[in-house]
Amino acid sequence: VPSDRLAGHLNAARERCSSARGEEDLRALEREYLDKGGIVADLLARIPSLPAAERPLAGRSANELKREVQAALDEARARLTDAALGERRAGRGFDATLPAPRPERGALHPITQLTRELEDLFGSMGYMVLDGPEVETDEHNFEALNFPPDHPARDTQDTFFCDEERKLLMRTHTSPVQVRAMRRLSPPFRAVAPGRVFRQETPDRSHEHTFHQMEGLVVGKDVSVGHLIGAMKTLLRGIFGREIEVRLRPGYFPFVEPGFELDARCPFCEDGCAVCKRSTWIELLPCGMVHPNVLRAGGIDPEQWNGFAFGLGLSRLVMLRYGIDDIRWLLSGDLRFLEQFS
Amino acid sequence: MFISYRWLGRHVDLDGISPEQVAEDLTLSTAEVEGLERFCPVLAEVIVGYVQTREPHPNAEKLSVCTVDVGDAQALQIVCGAGNVTAGQKVAVARVGTRLPGDVKLKKTKIRGLESQGMICSERELALGDEHDGIWVLAAEAEVGRPVDQALAAEDWVIEIDNKSITHRPDLWGQRGFAAELAAIYRRELKPLDVSLPSPTGSASYPVRIDSTACPRYLALAIDGVRVERSPDWLRMLLIACGQRPIDLLVDVSNFVMLDLGQPNHLFDRTRLSPEGIVVRMARAGEGMKTLDEVERKLEPTDLLICSGDEPVALAGVMGGEASKVSPETSELLLEVANFEAGVVRKTAACIGLRTDASARFEKSLDPTLVPVAAAGVLSLLQEIQPGVTLAAAPTDVGAWSDPSCSVQLRPERVRRVLGAAISDAEIADSLTRLGFGVEPGPAGLSVRVPSIRATRDVTREHDLIEEVGRLWRYDNIPEQALVAAIAPAPPDARRALVRRIGDRLAQAAHYHEALGYSFVAEDLARKLGVADEPHVQVTNPVLEGWQRVRRSIPVSLLGLLEGNLRRRDEVRLFEIGKAYLPEGGGLEPREVHELGIVLASRRAAQPPWDQSAFLRLKSVVVDLLEHVSRPPAHWEREPDGQRAAWAHPVCRARVGVAAPEDAVQWVGSVCELDPLVARALAVDADVAVACLSIDGLLAASTERRRFRAVPRYPGVKVDVALALPQDVSAARGEQAIAKAGKGLVAGTELFDLYTGEAVGSGRKSMAWHVILQSDARTLTDKDAQKFLDRLQRLAVELGGELRKE
Repeated sequence: VPSDRLAGHLNAARERCSSARGEEDLRALEREYLDKGGIVADLLARIPSLPAAERPLAGRSANELKREVQAALDEARARLTDAALGERRAGRGFDATLPAPRPERGALHPITQLTRELEDLFGSMGYMVLDGPEVETDEHNFEALNFPPDHPARDTQDTFFCDEERKLLMRTHTSPVQVRAMRRLSPPFRAVAPGRVFRQETPDRSHEHTFHQMEGLVVGKDVSVGHLIGAMKTLLRGIFGREIEVRLRPGYFPFVEPGFELDARCPFCEDGCAVCKRSTWIELLPCGMVHPNVLRAGGIDPEQWNGFAFGLGLSRLVMLRYGIDDIRWLLSGDLRFLEQFS
Repeated sequence: MFISYRWLGRHVDLDGISPEQVAEDLTLSTAEVEGLERFCPVLAEVIVGYVQTREPHPNAEKLSVCTVDVGDAQALQIVCGAGNVTAGQKVAVARVGTRLPGDVKLKKTKIRGLESQGMICSERELALGDEHDGIWVLAAEAEVGRPVDQALAAEDWVIEIDNKSITHRPDLWGQRGFAAELAAIYRRELKPLDVSLPSPTGSASYPVRIDSTACPRYLALAIDGVRVERSPDWLRMLLIACGQRPIDLLVDVSNFVMLDLGQPNHLFDRTRLSPEGIVVRMARAGEGMKTLDEVERKLEPTDLLICSGDEPVALAGVMGGEASKVSPETSELLLEVANFEAGVVRKTAACIGLRTDASARFEKSLDPTLVPVAAAGVLSLLQEIQPGVTLAAAPTDVGAWSDPSCSVQLRPERVRRVLGAAISDAEIADSLTRLGFGVEPGPAGLSVRVPSIRATRDVTREHDLIEEVGRLWRYDNIPEQALVAAIAPAPPDARRALVRRIGDRLAQAAHYHEALGYSFVAEDLARKLGVADEPHVQVTNPVLEGWQRVRRSIPVSLLGLLEGNLRRRDEVRLFEIGKAYLPEGGGLEPREVHELGIVLASRRAAQPPWDQSAFLRLKSVVVDLLEHVSRPPAHWEREPDGQRAAWAHPVCRARVGVAAPEDAVQWVGSVCELDPLVARALAVDADVAVACLSIDGLLAASTERRRFRAVPRYPGVKVDVALALPQDVSAARGEQAIAKAGKGLVAGTELFDLYTGEAVGSGRKSMAWHVILQSDARTLTDKDAQKFLDRLQRLAVELGGELRKE
């Protein structure tokens, strides 16, 4: 084979390598030269038919061509890869503000989120978490809580009744769990009971017929109003993350005596805002010392033991925390509301 | 309930104590103050004017033109439309610039060509009442040029008390009760009341007979010489301040004494009563009467009646009767002041749905010793205003009442222990004395005499006295204390932990939103879901018509949320963990079930690929949840027909269970497609699947235990197999065949294609799986794979199908 023909093959191959636009071009070249039935194979195949003296040179030349083409291919491939990486690294058209696809999300209801936080907070202070039925007996909801039959305080409870005899009702507060707890546990104990409660009230922005409360109950030896104040301040520190000034004023609930309303210094303002109705105090939780009649109804001797109870309005706290202006959102099941808490 | 700062001043000297201070101290020691407002603030803006002249308006027949002296150099010319305006009257004048109720600013105007430099006001224009017969004519003594409130001594502040905070305090349903509190708080004297009665002009007393124990005391006074007229302004102002509309002197005096002392009373026109006298008795079945609101009432045998002879003339403690009410001609009265049993009055008021100022007070349990005090109050006020009023007969005061005042033993040590405050014995005694209790040394420490006005219900035990000491001492003065007690840590609560794990998994891993639905199921929803015939706990007084049912399963609440959400979203994923109630059981209390409901509704694709159907996507969530909370693998099968929920698809339903002891399966719930008919009724146009799982079932199946499984040491072989099978051969049977063909080497299968169509023939389907073959002992080869395929081909034929060749 004339050497100039070999050089021609090599030059053509090199030419095509340098002008190659992509792997397809190189692969075509590779097929043409190096694969079975290609130019190199063809050259090698012809060697046996050459005169013996020419054979070594022809063999060397063919192998030389193969090496050189391979080298040109390797080099071209490296060049193309580098170019491709370079192209990718140039990041042409990149737009950091291009909107990302909407992530799929889910969320716990804000009432659940707050309930869990409070359960954990109380749990860290030795409180158990208890549960009680939503459909309750008059006995648990009223009678054992020192609401005698015909007591006018019953009228303040806006009760849903479940039977004509009014023995069964939708619990109006989480307080019946107090009685259930006292009958089941032996003192001393501390417990909270979150759950839904019901009032026969026409719903509006600030009233719902179904809402959430968390009852708290502490029974022990020589528990005093001072302990109640201490426990409530600890609770508020946990909820608001800082020291909150509180004040206790008389409040009437048949199942506690003395009974209080606990006001907290409004955490949202210094000198009056819409939340505190310009008073700088917000009415936060009713509480009091467990009435001896309730202890007795729960099978606990009021001369031996006493305690305090409190009721946290979970719905109200959630509304305060997130600035929700209409309580009816809470049970609406509306995704426009629920999606905001993921 | 409203209290008037000025009115309080009739009972206790509040000199130097501002209304704001009073409100603050009542808040901290007595009751919940809901508001403090200046009484009728416009009265400070309008001034007393003297009508010097009144001429007819030259251009309008019904108008007059007045010159009104308002104390300035120049008298005002005012055009007035009222018919009762005359020269020589003292009137309330709003000058130009005065802001009247309703936020109207008075401007200088021309009325029919004549300038009017102000307005002579009616009571209605000042928001004092709805009187619009003409202008408000003031007392002749009113000083010209002064603001009306000062001139009439009517400057006042109104404190609103939350009624709920005084349901236990009958004494606080009158102004005097609050005055007594303030006297105690400020250590001032509570002015004594004059309870003496004038000597009667006649001797015989009015006949009264009590035939029921529900009336412990009845006092009747026959009063002569009254004239029905307008009450003096001071009396009207105090009533208006406390929210009571003035009517005429008789009604106003009766109301005034009720609001003052908290003791309701009633005035009859004596000439309209029978000479047989008053009989107090229970109503008879079938009896009826017309009350003074002109409503014919049907009476129950539980209602207590005041009768004249045998004719009912009042519903005791609730409302008087039409026939005997005072009229403008009345001059002879019978005053009733009585004590009725709280429960009886409450029941009657509740039964007829008529809660009056009187019934609200009686149901708090009133002190029977208040009866003569209130009677003296009514008579002396009438005499003060109309000196010609006389007592016509000796008072009748009958009834088996007893003085409720009592003695309670108080241990000062107990006071200190319960309050957690270092209050000395002397301070305790001082607090109680200021509140009107009698304190003497007693066997346990102090013996406390409870005055009758506090003893009917509120203060009867030691605990009640501790509250009295505490609130006067001020709870704010009690130092905060840390709770110290040996309390064992709360035992682990498996159910609560499980509920949390489920919620977290669904919200965070599966991207579902937790909804809290109403416990009430609307009738309309119940009908659409087909559950209306199922027994429900039902409330007898729903908040809305049709909202009486209490849910018996959680998915019902979630299904009700689909339509609204799908109007705004193309996919809805919701869950709720909650309680539902089943009334069938016979006992008083229904059976409570804790359930997890999950719903997925999607219309993202008109025809989702087979593995993106709502059913399979939701099943995948449930599979993940079960693997998350429980180790044993779940069992799935077609749900038996007997267990179908009314809203579930008739066919496309699955139930899921977990392995229980002795190869049994414990069923924990179901995943169903929604019945297309129900979807249509709900106006839900989406692919919908619903899951319902029992929390108790999951709790029984759940385990915290997880064990590490060794990672395979030898590489596995991945084989893709496709089986053509008859339609009714389940995927589970296909997978059983694969497992069997693998002879223990199948480490995992994954269905990646499901196809029905011409290529496999009618009544047949093709299912394709990725299968991983793996051995713990050696590296598997193609030969193992081939043996597996050969065996699978034979098993496929046994199932009536074949192994498809690619």
